[in-house]
Amino acid sequence: MRTVRLVIFSLLAVCCVAAPQAVSLKTIPAEATLQFAGAQQQFAAIANYADGTERDVTDEVEWRLSNPALAKVVGTARIAATGDGALTVTAVLSKGVQSQASIQIHGSQQVRPFSFAQQIGGILTKRGCNQAACHGGVKGRGGLKLSANALYPKDDFEWITKGGTYQVLTAEVKGERVPRIDLKNPEESLLLTKPTMAKPHGGGKRLEKDSEDYKDILAWVKSGAPFGAEDNGKAPKLARLEVFPPLAAMPVDGQRRLLVTALFTDGHREDFTHQVLYSSNNADVATVSADGVITGKRLGETAVLIRGAGQVASAGAGVIGASIPNYPEVPRGNFIDDAVFAKLKNFHIIPSEVAGDAEFLRRVCLDLTGTLPPPERVRQFVANKDARKRERVIDALIGSPEFVDYWTFRFSDIFRVAIFANGLTPKWSQKYWEWIRNNVETNRPYDEVARERISAEGYGPASRHFLPYNQVGPPNDVMAEEVRVFLGRRLDCAQCHNHPYENWSQDQFWGMAAFFSRVFKMGPVVFDHPTNMDLSSKDVNGTIQLLHPRTKVPVQPALLDGSQANLTPESNPRKELARWMTANPYFAEATVNRIWGQFFGRGIVDPVDDFRSTNPPTHPELLAALAADFRKNGYDLRRLMKTIAMSRTYQLSRASNATNKDDVVNYSHALPRPLDAEVLLDALVDATGIQEVFSTAVADGSSVGQAPVGTRAINLKDPDMYFSRFLELYGRPNRGAIPERSLHPNLGQALHMLAGSTYADRLSAKESRLARLLHDGASNARIFEEFYLAAYARFPEPDEIQALEQTLAKRSDREAGLREFVWALTSSREFAENH
Amino acid sequence: MPALLIMMFAAGWVLGGNVAAFAATKLGDTPGEPKLSSVYPFTGQRGTTFTATVRGTGLRDATSVFVNNAPLTVTIEAAEMEAPDDATPTAKPKTPVDLIRVRIQIEGSAKLGRHNIRLVTAHGISNSLPISVFDQPVTNEPAAAHETPETAVAIDKLPAAMNGRIARRGETDYYAFHATAGQTVTFEVISGLPSTGAPGGNANGFDPSLALYEQSGSWFDPKRVNRIAFNDEPLWEIGKGTDAYLVHRFAKPGDYLVRVDAFSGQGGPDYAYQLRMLAGESPQDRVAEARNWEERKYERRLSADRLNELAERGGKPKEQAKIETYRTAATPALFRLPGTLEGSILQPGEAQRSKFHLDGPQDIAIEIETPDSLPPLFNPIVRLLNAAGQEVATNVFAGRGLCTGDLNKSLQSKVIVPLRDAGDYTVEVRDTTSDFAGPGFRYRVLVRPQIAHIGDVKIEEDRVNVSPGDAKSVRVVFDREEDYRGAVAVTVESLPAGVQALAGADFEPEKDPPLYPGKRERYTPRSERLVVVFTASADAVITKQPQLVRLVVRPIVDGKPGAVVDMKEIPLMVVAKP
Repeated sequence: MRTVRLVIFSLLAVCCVAAPQAVSLKTIPAEATLQFAGAQQQFAAIANYADGTERDVTDEVEWRLSNPALAKVVGTARIAATGDGALTVTAVLSKGVQSQASIQIHGSQQVRPFSFAQQIGGILTKRGCNQAACHGGVKGRGGLKLSANALYPKDDFEWITKGGTYQVLTAEVKGERVPRIDLKNPEESLLLTKPTMAKPHGGGKRLEKDSEDYKDILAWVKSGAPFGAEDNGKAPKLARLEVFPPLAAMPVDGQRRLLVTALFTDGHREDFTHQVLYSSNNADVATVSADGVITGKRLGETAVLIRGAGQVASAGAGVIGASIPNYPEVPRGNFIDDAVFAKLKNFHIIPSEVAGDAEFLRRVCLDLTGTLPPPERVRQFVANKDARKRERVIDALIGSPEFVDYWTFRFSDIFRVAIFANGLTPKWSQKYWEWIRNNVETNRPYDEVARERISAEGYGPASRHFLPYNQVGPPNDVMAEEVRVFLGRRLDCAQCHNHPYENWSQDQFWGMAAFFSRVFKMGPVVFDHPTNMDLSSKDVNGTIQLLHPRTKVPVQPALLDGSQANLTPESNPRKELARWMTANPYFAEATVNRIWGQFFGRGIVDPVDDFRSTNPPTHPELLAALAADFRKNGYDLRRLMKTIAMSRTYQLSRASNATNKDDVVNYSHALPRPLDAEVLLDALVDATGIQEVFSTAVADGSSVGQAPVGTRAINLKDPDMYFSRFLELYGRPNRGAIPERSLHPNLGQALHMLAGSTYADRLSAKESRLARLLHDGASNARIFEEFYLAAYARFPEPDEIQALEQTLAKRSDREAGLREFVWALTSSREFAENH
Repeated sequence: MPALLIMMFAAGWVLGGNVAAFAATKLGDTPGEPKLSSVYPFTGQRGTTFTATVRGTGLRDATSVFVNNAPLTVTIEAAEMEAPDDATPTAKPKTPVDLIRVRIQIEGSAKLGRHNIRLVTAHGISNSLPISVFDQPVTNEPAAAHETPETAVAIDKLPAAMNGRIARRGETDYYAFHATAGQTVTFEVISGLPSTGAPGGNANGFDPSLALYEQSGSWFDPKRVNRIAFNDEPLWEIGKGTDAYLVHRFAKPGDYLVRVDAFSGQGGPDYAYQLRMLAGESPQDRVAEARNWEERKYERRLSADRLNELAERGGKPKEQAKIETYRTAATPALFRLPGTLEGSILQPGEAQRSKFHLDGPQDIAIEIETPDSLPPLFNPIVRLLNAAGQEVATNVFAGRGLCTGDLNKSLQSKVIVPLRDAGDYTVEVRDTTSDFAGPGFRYRVLVRPQIAHIGDVKIEEDRVNVSPGDAKSVRVVFDREEDYRGAVAVTVESLPAGVQALAGADFEPEKDPPLYPGKRERYTPRSERLVVVFTASADAVITKQPQLVRLVVRPIVDGKPGAVVDMKEIPLMVVAKP
């Protein structure tokens, strides 16, 4: 209740208190270096106010130059160099509220060396010409193919200067080649006449004839259309784009200016704010101008994507509510809370109170063990006065055999334990399952687990996952799966062409796939076929090689960062890949994000295995901190889970307040999550006391098998062997691919609840919890309490008991009425969700 | 009156004094023939007597039990029909199941291990099932269920042997015992319905699993028992046994449970087992191989007298030289043919090489033995390289699969190679993987001149029930190794009156040739088939007891029969027509 009171107080304060005064001003960047003629720097001014809030006041301040002979203001906070030297730029908001930045200028009279990649590629990117929907598509458009975001400038140069039509399945150019430039009549170049609509252009008008970009392209053609400074390979290349602020918060109708800085391979930095293309992921929440100014439209959060020459970056944009003058001090449990609560404060959201003991216990039991707490444990926990009881119960759960059961199930899903996926025999899939279980049970460092799975050889259990349908899986599929599981990236698009939205090229894809190209099967043994030995297949040796699907050239293994692996013809190349993958920062990030997603229902990057620049994390600092902690502590999954479970963020109540009721991405309160099919079925078994029977096939004599009585759904080693109508209805995946569970309710579920055997049989079973209670002569109140504890892990509220008593009193058949009560309880959302 | 029949195979044609063109009926599941599905219990201590129930079909009029010189006396006590199982609907009508109660007396001097019994009925003799003789007291599981830790059957001392049955699908049998700190116990579950390890393991026998549990509870359930060890067979291969075996050392003293169930949850009245618990570490009780000769098993012993063994199977005199053994080392060893190379792959990725010289063209054979560790754990690749370092042969058979056309490779324990060039050759041995090695990766590679001979022989049937005026056939399949072109004679001895054994023929269904056979001839012998047809004359006397007839296989080279290369005794009965 404390937070609720604070929220009310804070909201009252918003209404009654006058607008706060600016107390300080910050100029971004604090220093800048300008080089070459025409170099410019965009500045921004951020004011801090007495209430702790900050606001972009770039448009409101006066920008003064200490030496106007060296530079001039050419737009809002945009300074252009005119002479060499040093000067200071001062932003003045009001009397006494100002800040300064220093500028160094050199080479102001020197013409910038031409770079096709940066200058022409930059224009094509900024003007949207090379987006996936236009010429950056797989085959380009209208006979012109450009690489997405100018990622491959050499290719772009070729297509523009020589023409030709891109072919997906061959590198050969077919048909007539029509150059997009005309060296004899530069103004007639298609590269100019199309986007200016001087000639018909399906993409509409993209360029004004009097624009600087038009002039730059024309000048380039007139100069003979060189490739420029990068031709010799020595010129610095654009390494990445840096965005300030990484997360921009603003009220509805408020604005925030983005500054984009390009970092080059030689270490120098340049302002790229006006050389990139901005787009909002959700224009209903926030729009962004061509200059990089975000405008809040409605409360919510989205991402702004920034595309520069060959690079993509993003910034978060949060449209926030009214400021809260007396924002409460929220206690913090660990570093997770530091990151989450800092953002909440920035977004003017007050987190909910910590969940009550019963709510916490049910949640943590389900998240750590997939198991409901038994009624007696709920009673004990609620009554326990120990200040550290939550930590103690987390430790007990993490050390429990149910934890091993549950996380074996979770990883069996991710790692795809299934008969058809593991050699078409349950002997092998169960061997693989046992390997996973042993890893969970011994809390084996996750990097070791990953390395073994990626590089598994011989008859070892982990090697079974290379044998779908008892054949070695195609290297492209296998690689894409390993990268998705362990690095959280989906490279699949790049197998047919350069990735249209990301910086993954087709060459990179196949370079990675080549690590798996030698995986071979000899009987039950998996190994990497040596490249220097025929092993009886001189006449069919071609199958050992992996050919690039477009160039038809044999592909050598190459890591995602472009470096070549140090391999011998006889070694297992996947070992090198496994070492690189687990040392890559992506590995820890992807792992902590996946685990985080299990505890919160959504990843910091969501979906949890879809990291990409166009899908940025909601909490990048938190993701980095979790990953660093995971690395530092030896990739210890149990420790990671405990860290998450111990955070106040995880332990927040599901009850929302006025400031966080609409929040679904910032973890300001717990969000209900549907239980996975297996967990729900086990919960039903626990609550009703009636075991589920899992049979392996339709009855036909002795060939039918059955899991031992008491086997829980999460403990089925080969779930695909056991048919279950309930599990199918509730979204059990078949593990044919990395499972993406469908958690959406459907009509079949509703019908099954009403008439399905899973519910109906349990209600009338003689050995059920209800039957036992009735046999013992339990009162209605005791039965209500017992079932509330068993199903909801909480005591019934007095008004609930009253309503139940009244309803039951109307029934002539008490037992039938109680059965309906149990049905209602186990059919409810409160039962079917973790919250 | 013994009858003699000679059938000869030579280069695809059949010779014989009494050639008959019978379109032979394959033996097997002939309707009405007695068929045993299980015996429970199937184990007992030697020197004891116990009662068992034989379950099967066509057994109702069983008159006696045929033990064929086994140290058992088995008498029939009663017969009844099993109550039909109406709870399990089936598409086909069920054959009535018979239950025959027998008393089994095991001689005090009986040899430990498995001894087969068959039932003799008016419709003939049944298939065989094993009775396992043990040297310790054997206890039967109680009639009451012991499917939970609470109802576990107590085992008070070791060694212990329990007869049990997974009587229905999903059943689990618990046994409780106490272990002291540091105690090592061997657990073994022997199936009375041996599985051949077919995929799924659910239709071809009973594949038992065992697991050990401690009663350590959990936060959720103080009574929960937690698995501490588990064993399904670590190596699984079609055709290999699937009995469960586990050696466990208990770190702490306490009460423990052992659980027996069926892999993949099968069960039924035929799912009988024996659980054995022995103090200390004991080797697994494996079913002894009944085959006389194994041409291509990695575990076969490549003895110094191998050439004479092969010559004998080729109908030639044993005049071959002894084979010398050479230790391989880091530096390539030089050896002469015939020679056996011995070594171990001690480092991952290690390759060991040896050299020999050929003065002229020679057809050689390379045979590989892995005495300590078999594939798929140790998978030796043997390559033969010429003086230029080019691979001229390996023990890897490559071909394209019929289904997908994908390149398939398989490791072979024998390869024959025609070498046409004189010069130096290198034999290279390595493991298939680059990750595994160790002292157990021991190999013996025999490089020798080829010797034409008869390889594996398989007599496919194990009983004959024939009615007067009818015929039954038995197939004899043999491999022609290293271009064996001699004939093969099968003689049948000890036939009862009125029964003849004739040469016959049957026909294989035509198969599509492989898409890419590779150099199949180097790795796969040509298999040939003879058919022995047993006919009973119309006036043949109905037999009350089976008579053992003996099928003997010999090579015939240069018109002379050689030594016996295989022999099998089959019980035969002349039975009234159904």
